[in-house]
Amino acid sequence: MLLDCDTGVDDAIAILLSKHLTNLELVGVTSVAGNVEIEKTTRNALCVLELAGMEHVPVYRGAAKPMMCEPITAYYVHGQNGLGDLSVPEPKRAPASLPAWDAIYETAKRYAGELTIVAIGPLTNLGLALAKYKELPKLISRIVLMGGAAVGGNVTPSAEFNIYADPEAADMVFTCGAEVVMCGLDVTMRAFLTPEELDELGELGAPQAKFARDAAQGVLAFSKGYGLPGMSMHDPVTLLYADDDSYFTAKRAGVRVETKGKLTRGKTVTDLYSDKQMEKNAVVVTGIDREAFKRRLFELMTQYGK
Amino acid sequence: MMRKIPVVLDGDPGHDDAIAWVLANASPMLAIKAVTSVCGNQTIEKTTYNAGRIMTLIGLDVPLAAGRVKPLVADPIIAPTVHGQSGLDGPALPEPKQKPADIDACTLMARVLEESSEPVVLIPTGPLTNVAALLLLYPHLKSKIRHIYMMGGGIAYGNWTCAAEFNILVDPEAADVVFRSGLPITMAGLDVTEKALVFPEDFERIRALGNPVAKVVAEWLDFFYGFHRSLGYPGAPVHDAVAVAALVKPELMTFQEMYVEIETTGDYCRGATVGDPMGLLKKPANVRCIMDIDRKGFVDLLAQAAETYSEGGNERA
Repeated sequence: MLLDCDTGVDDAIAILLSKHLTNLELVGVTSVAGNVEIEKTTRNALCVLELAGMEHVPVYRGAAKPMMCEPITAYYVHGQNGLGDLSVPEPKRAPASLPAWDAIYETAKRYAGELTIVAIGPLTNLGLALAKYKELPKLISRIVLMGGAAVGGNVTPSAEFNIYADPEAADMVFTCGAEVVMCGLDVTMRAFLTPEELDELGELGAPQAKFARDAAQGVLAFSKGYGLPGMSMHDPVTLLYADDDSYFTAKRAGVRVETKGKLTRGKTVTDLYSDKQMEKNAVVVTGIDREAFKRRLFELMTQYGK
Repeated sequence: MMRKIPVVLDGDPGHDDAIAWVLANASPMLAIKAVTSVCGNQTIEKTTYNAGRIMTLIGLDVPLAAGRVKPLVADPIIAPTVHGQSGLDGPALPEPKQKPADIDACTLMARVLEESSEPVVLIPTGPLTNVAALLLLYPHLKSKIRHIYMMGGGIAYGNWTCAAEFNILVDPEAADVVFRSGLPITMAGLDVTEKALVFPEDFERIRALGNPVAKVVAEWLDFFYGFHRSLGYPGAPVHDAVAVAALVKPELMTFQEMYVEIETTGDYCRGATVGDPMGLLKKPANVRCIMDIDRKGFVDLLAQAAETYSEGGNERA
C-alpha cells in the first residue's frame, strides 16, 4: 500500500494505524499540499513515521499546489504546524529524491498489479502521475480515496475539502479506469470519536496513542463549533476500509467531479439516488458499523504497547 | 367561519400537478383565485390544454392564463417519458369549458394580487418561470405574496440529472430569482416527495370511491406509476401534491429551515438547489425545506379529497 497524504491530524493517525494492518503493508508515503503547505506535510509525514517506528518507509515529496487552481489550506482545523500544534522533534531523515508522481509509478510497477493506493489528501499527485504515465491505471490494484460526499460538503455546502482543493485532479482519478473507492463524508462523518473516546485512546499507554489524543484536541474543538458529536476520523476510516471492508456498506455508482459550477465546484456528483444514471466508474462507501470501527482503531493502537 | 386562504395554482400538468389541484380544490381552507400554466412536463400548448381539462373535470371555474413558450433564458426540456405525449396520458378527460385568458400568466397573477384584499399564497408545481416573471415585472406586488409553497429541487440529490430536480433544472434562472426574493418559501423537494409514495393498494382505495374524479385520479396514478415502477419505485411519488398538503395539513410534514441557493452553472450541477444545513456559509435561512412526511396521513388526505367530489366535479361556493 502506498499512502498519499497531506499530513494533517487525521492523516497522522492514519499513518500510525498503518503499521499493524492485517492485509496491507505500507511501502511508501507521498506528500501533497492540502491541510497545510507541502514543506509541513512532508515534514509531518517523516515525523509521524518516526513516531510509529517506521523509518524504513520512504517519503516522497509531492505537489506544492493543485494542478490548475489556487491552493487552499485548513490551518483552522489542523493548527499552524498541521499536527494540532503539538511540538514534535525534527525528523532525522530527509524525503527521498524521487518526486511523488514518479514514486507512485515506480512503486506500482514494482508491485505489478498488487498496489493499493490510499489517497487521503487532495488528488494532485495522482492527477500528475496519471498525466505522465498513461499505463498507471493498469498497474495498480485500486485507489481508495478519502474525499467528496454523495450528499453535502464541509468546505462549501456542496464540496468536501480534498476534492474542492483540486477538482480537476479528482475528476482525472475518478475517470482513470482503475478501481476507485470513494470514502466520502457520507461514511467518514459517521466514523467519529467522541471526546471521551479520544481520552480513552490517550490512556492506552503507548506514546503513539497519547499523541493521537493530544493532536486531536484542536480538531475536536473545531468540530464542536459545528455541533458535531466528536472528531470525524476521515483519513483513518479510509485506511481501515482499504484494509478490511467487512463492517462497511458500499455501492457501485457513477461519480464525476463538478469543476465548473459557481456554487458546486468540487462536488462529487453521484447517481446513487437520482433517476438519471451514469457509467459506473466507482464504488461509494455509504455506511459503517461505528462500534466495529472503534474497536478496530483501538486494537491497532493497542499494538504499540506490546 | 374560517377565512379561506387565497391561492394561485401554477403548474405544468402533469399527473402529479393534476392530483395536487384535485387536493387544493377539495380543501375548505383554500380559495383558488386563478390557475396559470407553465411549460415543463410538456410544451406550453399541452400544459395549458391539460390545465383546462383538469379544471373542467374538477369543476374549478376561475381564470386561466398560459405562461411563456419557454423558460426565461434556457431552452425548454420536456418529460414525455414520465407524463406521456399529451403531458397527461391515461384516462379520457372532458374538453376544457373555457379558453385561457388573453393575458400572460404573470399578468393574471399580478391581477389576482392587486385585487386581493389580503396576501395570496402561490403554489407553483412546475418550473418557476411564471413566478420569476411576476417578481421581475411587478416588484411592487411582492408584499401581496404571503408565501410560496413550491415543488422543486432536492437538498440531497436530483432526479433528471444527478444533482438537479426537473422543475429547477428546466428554469434555474427563474428559480434563482425566486429563491433570492426574500419571500417565505416552503420547498417540497425530492427529499420529501420521494417519500410521498402512493402504493398500488392506495390506488384501489381511491378508485373504489367511485365518483368520476376519484376514478380519474386512480387512472392517473396507474399511468404515473408505470414510469416509476420501471425504475424500481414501490409506489408513485406524487411530488406536486406535497406542496399543497404542506399548506393544508402541515402537521404531516417535518420541516427544516436552511439557506438554499440555486446553481445556474456547471457541467453536472446546473439546476441544483444547494442547501446549507450545517450553516457553513453563515447565511440566514431563506427556505423552509420539507424533509419528511407521514406517508399514511398523506394518502388519507388524498383519498379524503377525492371523496369530496361527486358527479359533475366540485362546484363549491
